[in-house]
Amino acid sequence: MKLWIKRIFILIIMIIFLVAFSGSYSALSIDNLSTVVAIAIDTSDTNKLRMSFQFTNASSVSESGSTEQSPSIIYSIDASSISNGINLMNTYIGKELNLSHCKIIAFSEELAMNGISEEVYSLFNNAQIRPSTNVVITKCSAKYYLENSKPLAENLLTKHYEIFANSSKSTGYTVNATLGNFFSNLVCSSCEGYAILGGISSEDNETTTTIDSQKDSSNKANSSSLSGRNSSENIGLAVFKNDKLVGELNSIETLSFLATRNEISSFLVSVPDPNDSSSYIDIYLTPVIDSIIDIDIVNGSPYIKVSYSFTGRIYSMKQDSNYLENDVLKKVSESCSSYLKTVFSNYLYKTSKDLKSDINAFGKTAKSKFLTTEEFENYNWLEHYSDSFFDISVETSIRSSYLLTET
Amino acid sequence: MTNSKISVPEAISIILIVLAAHTLVSLPKSLLNITGSATIINLLYVGIILFFLILLIVKLYKNFAGQDIIDISNFLGGPIFQRIVGMLFIFYFIFSSSILLRNFCECLKTVYYPMTSLFFILLTFIIALCISNGFSFSVTTKINLIILPIIFVSILFIFFANNQNLSFENMTPILGNGLFNTFVTGLGNLGAFGGIIFLYFIPPYLKEPKKFKKVAMISVGLAIIYLIICVAIILLTFTFLLKVDEIMPLYSAARYIEFGSFFQRLESILLLIWIIGMACYFSITLHITMNIFKKITNIRDSKPLIVSFALLMLSISLLPPNYAISKYLETTIYPYLVIGIGFILSTSILILAYLKKRKSKEFIENETMD
Repeated sequence: MKLWIKRIFILIIMIIFLVAFSGSYSALSIDNLSTVVAIAIDTSDTNKLRMSFQFTNASSVSESGSTEQSPSIIYSIDASSISNGINLMNTYIGKELNLSHCKIIAFSEELAMNGISEEVYSLFNNAQIRPSTNVVITKCSAKYYLENSKPLAENLLTKHYEIFANSSKSTGYTVNATLGNFFSNLVCSSCEGYAILGGISSEDNETTTTIDSQKDSSNKANSSSLSGRNSSENIGLAVFKNDKLVGELNSIETLSFLATRNEISSFLVSVPDPNDSSSYIDIYLTPVIDSIIDIDIVNGSPYIKVSYSFTGRIYSMKQDSNYLENDVLKKVSESCSSYLKTVFSNYLYKTSKDLKSDINAFGKTAKSKFLTTEEFENYNWLEHYSDSFFDISVETSIRSSYLLTET
Repeated sequence: MTNSKISVPEAISIILIVLAAHTLVSLPKSLLNITGSATIINLLYVGIILFFLILLIVKLYKNFAGQDIIDISNFLGGPIFQRIVGMLFIFYFIFSSSILLRNFCECLKTVYYPMTSLFFILLTFIIALCISNGFSFSVTTKINLIILPIIFVSILFIFFANNQNLSFENMTPILGNGLFNTFVTGLGNLGAFGGIIFLYFIPPYLKEPKKFKKVAMISVGLAIIYLIICVAIILLTFTFLLKVDEIMPLYSAARYIEFGSFFQRLESILLLIWIIGMACYFSITLHITMNIFKKITNIRDSKPLIVSFALLMLSISLLPPNYAISKYLETTIYPYLVIGIGFILSTSILILAYLKKRKSKEFIENETMD
């Protein structure tokens, strides 16, 4: 008898839970979901925002096979807020948008200049959106950016979105700027936000007859030398003050940013040849140790000392090169140090004097100069950053070239 | 007294699961709200005070080997006093676990079950703890002993997997919200060590009551280390968590863990481990509560009370009309209860009972001399 009561009890519990949790089955079944891979947010003429959602057509991928690029569908809607936009889109497509696989959130430059804190807070509040989602500020309209985001060497768009920012570690020309970091910087009282600078390459890019390796490192999105069919180019960095876009960094400045924040593992630079002032040598550099930052408050202004240390190998080679001599390597090292010192100095003064934005998070180091949080908040680091002075030292040690050492 | 005796590691795990359960919801954030960037220093300071307090408790307990605080209350003030103290502890255990249950289930609902009624999520835990309490207490403590190290490993994993975000500069300004807040107001962080209250109920369960001191000291040491790691995850890696309030900050930190594009969304596994840990905590609390009730009412068997007490927990957890109130109860009221009932009341009872025992010993000695 007791056993029967137990069995009936278990059966009742099972029925209760089947009914209770079935609410999730009908709404969250795979047939009722539409997986969004990217969101573009622009300004709108008729409402506050124009939101575009990019979906991949999974059935087309399986039909076409893996050798062709997966097609994507973009739907746009005008809405007053992010949540309203999602809600309206749910109604129009007759499915529920699933944002858990969203890889990119693109904001147009125009919208970012007006401030995007409301949008970022709303997106971060959404449990489906991952903090690792990349944030891109587009030089063109965000929708146009998504429409033309065709991966150059990749079949799957989602994979392209997921891995394109990884090149920041080896090139330093773009950054891995995620929603989590952006939100963290937005609420931070000792640092400012940044995002990936994106654009679309035009098919008829200007051709230049001058050979200038420095031009290679001054590229940025929408003004790069990339030509061919329309494609997204993510070069450079979008700089924010609070929630507003205040400026852009080109590729060499982005590299300086990553070197200062210790977020780069190796990079290539073209430094003036010490033996021939008209030519450049390409050097592949690797940081030896993390950049050392020391901050003092002198007469109420931040005095920031930054020391960088690199080791490198010479990449470019020409006739009559001799990289087996200690003196030659020493001269190249000095030239490299001097060049990098100028580059880093220009970059740091640009963030301080022009952009007035501490994207390097120097404020975190400066906090150690204050005893309490109240003292630090009263000092108002973010406003005083524009008064900063920098003392930069760069030490470079060129070891050798690669396979050829002497020609 | 009890037919389920427990070993030293099981006893330690009982005390630590309380701390682990509370840290998984909002405890580290509550600590950071008081002392800011000086929380780690504050925890070391509070830890030293706690060590001295525990030494005092252990010393006082020497005369009451194998007895819990309810037995000691009976010795001190008789059955009526014992019932008053017992009711206070029952209130504490039921209230703290119900509010924690509510908050944890609110978090689960937000993250994974947005369309499921909160009642059913709560009911899942209630049924689990009814079933587990149907078995012997040692079954729960043994499962707890298995799950607790896994929870510890999961916390260490969050810390080390987020090492790219680690910044020791976040420990500055060194005095955080000020000297007074760190060392005076910050004493309120003693409320984080709610697990210590279980120390007063452990002695009757111990296989070797002489090892009570060992249990107490190891528990406190591990609790401090564990709490520092939890706070460090938030303080050293995610500064924004100091400024904004997130449900389950440790879960939020776990969402950042990714190993390339192959291993992502590992927080789901961690949450599964934490759910089992939570079930263990609720189960242990229910058992201790029933045992107190059994003592103060002199009933022979407390097992028929399982469903009644479980439903009481369910009812209390449903009382707060919204998350704001349940969170307020957990972050603001709970620490005061720990300090009030756990530290002040219990230590006072122990001191008075110790003095009474010494006096009665002296009286007996004088009688025999006469």
